[in-house]
Amino acid sequence: MAIPTVNPPASETKDDLHPPEKKNAPILQSLHYKLVITLYRVFAITVLYLVLAGIISYAFVMGFYAVNSSWAAPIILSSADEKSLDFREKLVTSQQTIEDLKVDTKKLDSGLAEMKKHQAALLALEPELQQAIVREQTHNRTTGPELAALDQQKQADNLKTQKVLAQLRDVESNITKDLASGLITQGDAATQLAALNQAGGAYTDSKIAQVLLTDSVLDKTTTGTNSLDVLVKQAELRSEVAQLDVAINVAEKQYKEESQQIDRLRQAIQTAKESPYYLNASGEKTLYFAFVPYDNQASAVAGSPIYDCYLNMVACRKVGTLKQIFAVEETAIHPIFKTQIRGFLVQMNLDHAESAKSKTLFLGRKPVLF
Amino acid sequence: MAPILLWLILVLCLSLSIAKYLMGTILKLSFPSTKAQKDYTYQPTVSVLMPCYNEGKTVYETIESISKSNYPSDKYEVIAQDDCSVDDSYKWMLKAQHDFTNIRVRVGRNEVNCGKARSVCNALQHSTAEIIISIDSDCIFHADAIRELTACFAEPHIGSVGGRVGVRNPNDSVITAIQTVIYYSAFELYKIPENWTRSICCISGCLFAIRRDLLLEIEPAIRARNWFGIPVNQGEDRFLTHQTLLRGYGTYINNDALCWTTVPNTLPVLFKQQLRWRRSIVRDFFFTLRTLPQHVWKLHPNTVFTLVLTPLGAAVGSLVVVTMLTSDPLAWASPVPLIAALGVGAVLTWVIKKYSAREAVAHPLAFGAYIGWSLVSSLFLTPLALCTMDSADWGTRTKLQEVPLGNTNR
Repeated sequence: MAIPTVNPPASETKDDLHPPEKKNAPILQSLHYKLVITLYRVFAITVLYLVLAGIISYAFVMGFYAVNSSWAAPIILSSADEKSLDFREKLVTSQQTIEDLKVDTKKLDSGLAEMKKHQAALLALEPELQQAIVREQTHNRTTGPELAALDQQKQADNLKTQKVLAQLRDVESNITKDLASGLITQGDAATQLAALNQAGGAYTDSKIAQVLLTDSVLDKTTTGTNSLDVLVKQAELRSEVAQLDVAINVAEKQYKEESQQIDRLRQAIQTAKESPYYLNASGEKTLYFAFVPYDNQASAVAGSPIYDCYLNMVACRKVGTLKQIFAVEETAIHPIFKTQIRGFLVQMNLDHAESAKSKTLFLGRKPVLF
Repeated sequence: MAPILLWLILVLCLSLSIAKYLMGTILKLSFPSTKAQKDYTYQPTVSVLMPCYNEGKTVYETIESISKSNYPSDKYEVIAQDDCSVDDSYKWMLKAQHDFTNIRVRVGRNEVNCGKARSVCNALQHSTAEIIISIDSDCIFHADAIRELTACFAEPHIGSVGGRVGVRNPNDSVITAIQTVIYYSAFELYKIPENWTRSICCISGCLFAIRRDLLLEIEPAIRARNWFGIPVNQGEDRFLTHQTLLRGYGTYINNDALCWTTVPNTLPVLFKQQLRWRRSIVRDFFFTLRTLPQHVWKLHPNTVFTLVLTPLGAAVGSLVVVTMLTSDPLAWASPVPLIAALGVGAVLTWVIKKYSAREAVAHPLAFGAYIGWSLVSSLFLTPLALCTMDSADWGTRTKLQEVPLGNTNR
C-alpha cells in the first residue's frame, strides 16, 4: 500500500541529527487533500451537530415524557381488530346462551306447572282412597260377624237337609217298589222321583251358598289380597307424590339457577356494551380511542379538549374533545419508554382523523404552552 | 433486517471477545507454549526512548525508575525527547540527566511540537542500540522491566515485545477502579490467545520494545503517516505493532515486564484518552480493510479477526445502542447487565487482589458502574472518532498554552 508522504520538518530537533526529509508534495495532491479535508470537516461538523441535536432532543423527549401527565396514546381499533372480534363473538355466544336458557326455563316452567297439577290431583285422590278404605273396613266390621252367624246357621241347615236327604233314599226305593208292584203309576213315580232330585239339587245349591258365605265371611273378617292391593295402590300413590315433590324441587332449583344465569349474562352484556371494543364491533362509524395511563388520570375529564402536537410535544392544535371514559383496566406499551403500563381507554371525538395516527395526544391543555 | 444484521455482527464480535477471554484463561493455565522462551543471558544494548509533553515532574520520576533497573547499566541508556512542553518538563529532564549518573541519560528537544510518534523517531536518531524501548513519560517501571523485555528477543522471530501496564491509582475513583479491572483482564486474559500465536495486535506504548533494524525500517512510514495531509501523531503503538506483524515478525507481551501508569481519574480526561485510542483503532481498521488481502495471506487468522472484528464491533455497537435507545430506551436499565458486570467485576477484583496486590481495588462493586461507561463509550466514541480524524493533539496531555502542532515546513 502506498502511504502518502507529508511535508516533514526540515529538522524537528535541536540536535539536527536526523536527515532532512523531502518536501516535494505535488501541488495538485495538496489541493486535493485540502478539498477533501474541507469537505470532511463540513461533513463532520454537520454530523456532530446533528448528533448533538439528536442527543439533546432525545434527552428532552425522555425528560418530557417522564414528567408530563397529560399525554394519551391514540389507538385505532379496526372492525377486524382481534379484541373486538373476540368481543363480538363472545357477545353473540352470550346472547345465544341467554336464548337457550330462556327456552329451557320456559320448558321447565311448563313442566313444573304440569307436575304440580298432577301432584295436586294425586294428593286429592289420597284422602278419598283413605275414606274408602275406612268405609269398607267399617262395613266389614259390621257385616262380617253377621255373615259368620248366618254361615253357622247355614251349616246347621245343611246338616239338617243332609239328614232329610238320607231319609229320601228310602222313599226313593219305596217308590221303585211301589211302581214295580204297580201301586203307583209310572207317571206318579217319575213325578215323585223328580221331586226327590229337586230336593238333592236344592241341597247342593245350599252347600254352594254356604261355601260362598264362608268365603264372604273370610273376606270380611281377615285382611285379604284385595285389601292388600288397595294398600299397595295407596303406597304407590304416595310414592308418586313424593317423586313429584322431588322433581318439582329440582325443577324449581334449576329454574332459579337458569334465571340467575340469564340475569348474570344480561349484566355482563350490559357491562360489555360499555366497552370500547363493543362499541367498535357494533358501530358502523369509525370510533377513536386513546389509552390513558393511570398517572395521567387526572387529565382525563369528559368534554376536555384534545391536542395534537408536532414532534410529539410542540406546535399543538386542538383536534377534538374527550367523549367518554371507560372504567375497565387496560395495559399498553409506553409509546416512548416501551415499558408496559396500566391505564384505561377513553373515547374521543376527533375533528381531524389523522390525529388518531399520532404517537401521542394531550388531554386538557397544550403540553408546552404553544 | 438491518437491525438484525447489526445484532448478528455485534453478537459475533462479542462472541469473539468472550472466546478470547475464555481461551486466555485456558491457555494461561494449561499451555506453557503461550509463554515465550526467555533467555536472560541475551543482553543486547538498549535505548529507552522517552518522548515527553507537559508531564512536569513525572518525567523525573520516570527516569528515576528506569535508572533503578537491574539491567547492566553499561548496556542501556535513556533518551528523553521533549516535544516543546509548555511546562517545566524539560527542566526536570535535565535535572534527571544531572542526578542519575549511574546510567547514560540524553535529553533532546524538538524544534517544533510534532507529536509523540515523531518525537520517538527523533529520539531514535540519537540511538545506536540493538533494542529500542519506547516508553510513556508518565509511567513508573519495574526494575526487571528491561531485562524481561530483552529476554524475549531470544526468539529470533519476535520483532516487538510489550510489557504489562498496571494501574498506579486504582482507588482514586470509580473510574480508575473500572480501568484497573479492564487493564488487568486485557493483559492477563484477553491478549493471551494473541500471545500464543505471537500476534499481539496492539502493544501498549507505555512499554514497547522493538528491534532497532525493524524500527528503522518502519520509521519512514511513521514519519509519513498522515490523514489527507494532516500528520498523524497518535496511535504509534498500534501502528508499530501492526507494521511489525505485516513485516513477518511476531509480537508478544511479556506480563513479567511491568510498568505502572496513572490512569485518568475523571470522566472528561478518560473520555479524551479513549477518544484518542478509538481514533487510532478506526484508522487502523481502515488501513486493515484497504490491505485486507495482504493481511489474510500474511497474518494469523486470530490476528485478522481481531483487527477486523474489534473495530467493527465498536462501530456496530454504536448503531446497536442507538437502535436500542430508540426502540427500548430503558433496556439498559434491566438488572441483567448490572448483575453480569457486578459478577465479573467481583471475580476479577478478587483475582487482582490475590495476584497483583498493588493494584487491588478497594470496592468490589465499583465495576458495576462499567454499564454506564460502556453505554457512553459505545454510543459516542466511535462516531466522534470518525468525525475527528483530523485531530492530532497529544490527547490527555494537552494544555491551554501549548504551541500549535507542527511537523510542517519551517
